[in-house]
Amino acid sequence: MMNIKMSDFTRIDAFEWEISPEFRHDMRVPVRIFASEALLQDSLADKSILQAVNTSTLPGVLDAVMVMPDMHQGYGFPIGGVAATDLESGVISPGGIGYDINCGVRLLSSHIQLEEVKAWLPTLANVINQRCPSGVGVDGRLSLTKSELAKACVQGAGWAKAKGYATAEDLRHTEENGCLRGADPEKLSERALERGRSQLGTLGGGNHFIEVDLVADIFHEKAARIMGLQKGEIAVQVHTGSRGFGHQICTDYVRMLQGVVRKYGFNLPDKQLVCAPIDSAEGQAYLAAMRCGANFAFINRQLLTNYIRDAFEFTLAGKVEDWHLRQVYDLAHNIGKIEEHLIDGRKKSVCVHRKGATRAFGPGSNGIPDEYAEIGQPVLVPGSMGTASWVLVGTEQSMKRSFGSCCHGAGRVMSRSQAKRQIWGEDLLNNLESRGIEIRAGSMPGLAEEAPQAYKDVDQVVESVVGARIAEKVARLYPLVVIKG
Amino acid sequence: MVPYRYEEISHTADLALRVRGENFHDLLRHAAQGMYHLMGAGIGNNTSIDEAFTISHGSHEEILVDFLNELLFLCEAHGKVLTAFQFSEGANGLQVRAVGHTLDGIVRPIKAVTFHNLVVNQSGKDYETVITFDV
Repeated sequence: MMNIKMSDFTRIDAFEWEISPEFRHDMRVPVRIFASEALLQDSLADKSILQAVNTSTLPGVLDAVMVMPDMHQGYGFPIGGVAATDLESGVISPGGIGYDINCGVRLLSSHIQLEEVKAWLPTLANVINQRCPSGVGVDGRLSLTKSELAKACVQGAGWAKAKGYATAEDLRHTEENGCLRGADPEKLSERALERGRSQLGTLGGGNHFIEVDLVADIFHEKAARIMGLQKGEIAVQVHTGSRGFGHQICTDYVRMLQGVVRKYGFNLPDKQLVCAPIDSAEGQAYLAAMRCGANFAFINRQLLTNYIRDAFEFTLAGKVEDWHLRQVYDLAHNIGKIEEHLIDGRKKSVCVHRKGATRAFGPGSNGIPDEYAEIGQPVLVPGSMGTASWVLVGTEQSMKRSFGSCCHGAGRVMSRSQAKRQIWGEDLLNNLESRGIEIRAGSMPGLAEEAPQAYKDVDQVVESVVGARIAEKVARLYPLVVIKG
Repeated sequence: MVPYRYEEISHTADLALRVRGENFHDLLRHAAQGMYHLMGAGIGNNTSIDEAFTISHGSHEEILVDFLNELLFLCEAHGKVLTAFQFSEGANGLQVRAVGHTLDGIVRPIKAVTFHNLVVNQSGKDYETVITFDV
């Protein structure tokens, strides 16, 4: 295996580094990393940069493969990777989007003061936990026919609104209004439809969570005001994706494309980077199926939002003045989108793969709600369990330098097996509860794997993207209730 | 000689297994055992379940991924954990007959079996590979 050293990087500035295409003969573009020196140094402990180098060999990849400071080793693409490909000569790669298609985060704001709700937090945790199905293989409250599921996949969050699960504001405050156009259920396998039928409105397991937070600090008064975030008030985050439905779509197409790679004569450094020309029948079929998965995930987070709103009403109505939750924003961090970006000074439509990276469109960009036009798109960066989460906004620089993208979380540094060896779930639970954080978790080993020690310091990650000027700080959130599958 | 059937190896975000077998079918059996172990898949009762499916022709890597993904699907969608396997070559691919039990909970979900750097190596009669799972 090729070892990558600090001397292989060219330092562009304090938070930007580059590996030249001369580094390896098959690279087509540079790899550009947005990170502090310390985070970059840490990243050399795993294969994330090597995976970015591998990604830079994809046909039709443009400008540079970007890597965010929360990078860590994935499979094929690194987590925290962004790659844009040419619509005519480029490819689309399911591995560059991931199995959990449109895994993403939603943020809800409230006007509930911490002091009003403090005594009710344990009850609120129990009620949310009861109303939001979580864990593996756990069905949701809805069981759709395959034809209804197909309809939902085409309509996205609009389907949820038509059924009374969403408001117009919810849709407006969702990336792409909660619906990627061009979804085609005909491109889905029977197996995907079977897995998806009963999984809408479920949290799942792993690192997915629902969190009730305190808005602890405000850094950008105007943006926070526009988003409805005020210091001392309660907010809610939801982190989940397209569940087994999305996993099956990716599984189907990664398998199918193994043969397609041979057909088109692509020579790839990793089988998980399989891809198809975007304008080929195979590429278009994957895009249409992937969009179904993305729309499923938008609905999934919307249904969970609906259940959380019910839980707030059930627990807090009559006890606090205003228990309503308003949607700040919902965005994807595992997605492939056709977007317009500046390439060599000219606007061009490209296919942006974001694998563990968040869209971060700057002020005035197309595709963000009018309310946020002046401040830029909200960027949601959840921290590890028990640590802070951040609300940022995209900038003009993110549009120029990172295909309008930013980091998506803290990023792991410790393997799950190491975390389980070093951290005892019950000890972690006691520690978090002693700090006043209510935890509801499906399993203690699962909790240990998600311990804060297994992740980077999210504050350092945020300092890197702010230092690189691809995002600005708006608010810092502190966890009060964490629900994990 | 196969000194171990499977062992978990370090991966920052996901899970990985090194698996060995005295032949390819043995490798498949041990990979199945290792995957269920990683998932912490519990067996519900003593009632035995029979299952049969076919894995299409392909490379060793493709057959391995297809086989494990089939088990994941049966586990998640139908609540089945398969514990004993018989393999035979058929006209349409590898025919698998299996016996198992109903699932009684999973500690850690696996989303999919990946092709990440997947190579099935043969040394003498032994087979060995490293499989990365998305979790």
